[in-house]
Amino acid sequence: MRVDIDSLSLFNRLAGEGSRHAAGALSQLSGMDIEVTVTGISLLSEADLRETFEGSEHVGVRIGLGGGLEGETLLAFDRQTMRSLLSMLLSTEPSRPFDEMDRSGVKEIGNIAVGGFVDGWADHLGVGIDLTPPTYVAAAGDGILPDDFGSKVVVGEDETESAVFLFESTLRSDANELSFSILMLPEHRTLEPLLAEQTDEGSAVSLDQLSAFDRIAREGAASAADHLTAMTGVRTALEVSKLRFVPVEDVTRYVGDDRVVGTVFGLNEGEDGYLAILFDAESAERVADAMIPMERESGVGEMEASAIKELGNVMTSGFIDGWANVLGTSIAHTPPEFVDDLGAAALDPLVNSIAVEQDHAFVVDTAIETPEKQFTCNILALPDGQRLASQLHRMDAPEADASE
Amino acid sequence: MPRNEAFRSLDRPTERVRIAEYAVTDDGTDLTTSGLGSCVGVALYDGDAGVGGLLHAMLPTSRPGRDQPPGKFVDEGVPALLAAMRRRGASTGRVHAKLAGGSEMFEFTSSTPVGERNVEAATAVLDELGVTVAATDVGGDRGRSLRLLGDSGTLVVRTAGGDVVEL
Repeated sequence: MRVDIDSLSLFNRLAGEGSRHAAGALSQLSGMDIEVTVTGISLLSEADLRETFEGSEHVGVRIGLGGGLEGETLLAFDRQTMRSLLSMLLSTEPSRPFDEMDRSGVKEIGNIAVGGFVDGWADHLGVGIDLTPPTYVAAAGDGILPDDFGSKVVVGEDETESAVFLFESTLRSDANELSFSILMLPEHRTLEPLLAEQTDEGSAVSLDQLSAFDRIAREGAASAADHLTAMTGVRTALEVSKLRFVPVEDVTRYVGDDRVVGTVFGLNEGEDGYLAILFDAESAERVADAMIPMERESGVGEMEASAIKELGNVMTSGFIDGWANVLGTSIAHTPPEFVDDLGAAALDPLVNSIAVEQDHAFVVDTAIETPEKQFTCNILALPDGQRLASQLHRMDAPEADASE
Repeated sequence: MPRNEAFRSLDRPTERVRIAEYAVTDDGTDLTTSGLGSCVGVALYDGDAGVGGLLHAMLPTSRPGRDQPPGKFVDEGVPALLAAMRRRGASTGRVHAKLAGGSEMFEFTSSTPVGERNVEAATAVLDELGVTVAATDVGGDRGRSLRLLGDSGTLVVRTAGGDVVEL
């Protein structure tokens, strides 16, 4: 299955518009100002999708799509967010646990949001999209997701390598710190003709190639994680890896305003893109604690900065080696530069230089965590789109026989 | 997500301006935007009308023929912001501009960095529109967050290190 980059851009816009419709409908319903934070298309494994829901309780609705667009949508709130929304809607405190009336409130919210979400798609595709009645779901962790992704898998057949295509929007109400997401998982058979429609060979990449790129980044990250463990003596594990395709202006929105500490470097002088290895401020201190064998004062001073810089150098080499191995070519990179700043500010120089040529960007986001949550680290790869497409074309797509 | 507490503690009515967007205030509401690295923030204010505006632009010049967010490019965003302010009662002759951002945090490329080009573009387009630049806090290697005080036009610039400048 091949994907045209322009089609991806178009579908990203449709998903964005759909989300804004949904946010508008919810704002009207709740009287709160609800806005769409980010909208993106992700390609990720079922395991990683499940992982993103771990550790919290969710309430929401699942609504099936039929007709011109087949698939499944999920509107997922954490329980507290839903409680706040319901209390605004029903003008009474919802019961504990939710009673029948609360549940029908949840379904109503789901209907309105998902209805708004698919309207834009139906208009653009010129087809009717049918919605099944909403199913109320409440579960801890990934229990909120459908049991079986079988018909939605677009790449790979075996469980560890298979990936689904996901349209995802995060919505937020600023005043009340509500945040929730709309996911749409299209059926493979419905997605293929839509994405392939405008394909011309030049700007098209195959999903296998995209998925291969995701694996390259993941291997790089795994190797970087090994170096992190070697330097800090703390066991680490790769958590979630996601290949996202988003409008350039959304990239920094993922990172947000929180302070980050880490290193950033350009691949082939930035021509091929950028890589950022970022710790949140607290994690940075814990990493410094692990690396500096003496008492130190709190905060990120010169000593801490130099430890993290050294770590960044080593993790970068690890990442690059993993990457170069798969591509079968050497990758020149600028020396990593240290950064300690607001997350969005740290990334915008990278994003903006990519945005000169591209309206959308691929972002591979890999999280590294430690089992006891001492620290987390995010590795963000921002490849240049054109160069990525041509590199992927040159590369023998591994497991190319696994789909289609 | 915790945001800059000191910024928030001012406890004033506030509207947040996101990257590639702009907003107008005419009722004293503050406008804030955060995480400017090489992006440039353009604050406009007409003190007589009490109308202000804030833009958080990513790039100096737009490319033709694309459907893009209105505040993404300096050359489109600044005139669009000024026009929106005029619709709310501002008059171009009374509007002053303040610029912040456009830092160069990294030295990856040999070409002119985006931050510097953003500031140049903003200066040029404001000059073309006949708007005076009253103050700037641009360049350097730190990120910035901005708050345009809706009742005075003061632009409060804060870096990640906690330094605060009032323009």
